[in-house]
Amino acid sequence: MAESNETAIAPAQPSQAAEAFGQFVKNLWEENPVFRALLGMCPILAVTAACKPALTMGLAATFVVVCSNIMVSLMRKALTPHLRILMFTLTISVFVTIADLFLKAFVPDMSDILGPFVPLIIVNCMIIARAESCASKNPLFISVMDGFGTGFGFTLALVMLATIREVLGGGTWFGFQVLPSWWVPWTVMKLPAGAFITLGFMLAVNIHLHNRKKAKAAAAA
Amino acid sequence: MGGVANLIVIFLSIALVNNLVFMKFLGICPYLGVSKKVDMAFGMGLAVTFVLTLSATMTWLINNLILVPLNLEFTKYIAFILVVASMVQLVEMYVRKFYPTLYQSFGIFLPLITTNCAILGTCLFIDLWGYNFIEAVVAGFGGGLGFTMAISIMAGIREQLEMAEVPKAMQGAGITLVTAGILTLAFMGFSGMVR
Repeated sequence: MAESNETAIAPAQPSQAAEAFGQFVKNLWEENPVFRALLGMCPILAVTAACKPALTMGLAATFVVVCSNIMVSLMRKALTPHLRILMFTLTISVFVTIADLFLKAFVPDMSDILGPFVPLIIVNCMIIARAESCASKNPLFISVMDGFGTGFGFTLALVMLATIREVLGGGTWFGFQVLPSWWVPWTVMKLPAGAFITLGFMLAVNIHLHNRKKAKAAAAA
Repeated sequence: MGGVANLIVIFLSIALVNNLVFMKFLGICPYLGVSKKVDMAFGMGLAVTFVLTLSATMTWLINNLILVPLNLEFTKYIAFILVVASMVQLVEMYVRKFYPTLYQSFGIFLPLITTNCAILGTCLFIDLWGYNFIEAVVAGFGGGLGFTMAISIMAGIREQLEMAEVPKAMQGAGITLVTAGILTLAFMGFSGMVR
């Protein structure tokens, strides 16, 4: 995917559109930033005690990764090797500031819950990794789709983890009661320990599915 | 504020009760990535402690002496990340010049500290909690020591885990996270010691 960057930027070319869409799907599940690449772990654990903050966090990160991919892709020919990480970080922190001010203005209660974890998107390795490995080498359209794929993949992982934790830990989902009232909430799920253990088991399930798929493919071949 | 006693409380609070790794989920990437060997983990912890103390000091000064008086607080994040990045650069140059053997053993870890969320996170938390200058320095140092302790304990457990038979799907990150969860439960025993 790295060598095709000197072609026209127009997204109308069918091959390029297909490639961009492929990138989107790949990042969404096959190479999910959380489950497969283990990127961006801190917010994953910190904001997933309930679904609403997890979704907010996921969307904020999606906004940042898409915007920073756009900017990095546009300036990719002007980047010099030794300054590029600094440029990535500065680009990302500008968009994170925008996202943070937006959240403070329009959803202040979410902003209070997330606290410093919104500015911490700056040091989320997932976003720098996308800038480095995709946006700095690819034309605009592919980078945008890559950003959306990564962002939604991240959101998906966050909401999955938050769903498990919120349903088991409080019997609610996005604030609605989903389990009957005799359910005794597992308090540990709301605590940091629950986050670590749940994510550990989710990774194990994911790796197990991946291994089984690989074994099936090997058996078929 | 009761002087030294207050500082001790802040130190214990950020090193044990509100440990960065266990309670605030900061610095998880190096915590999972660099915790295979005890000596490497300890080196990483010391590097983080050093950079964290310096960055906490510098960001407090910049925030309170420059950004707040000039009403430039909305540039806080950009200013903070620049401070952290330049601190890391400074420490790297200094260590390379004066302690070449130490530099060899740190290797790739020093530049990686820039994207360690423990550093930026602690600076932001210090700002959020409204600490004064001395408190900020103590909190930075205590946070670093707490991180060193957490990552060293984890590395010790993982060295033992090498010999255990772990189910195939749980190997690697899976078992590490579950171990971290159990370790977190143990550290919850400290909660309630300090408000």
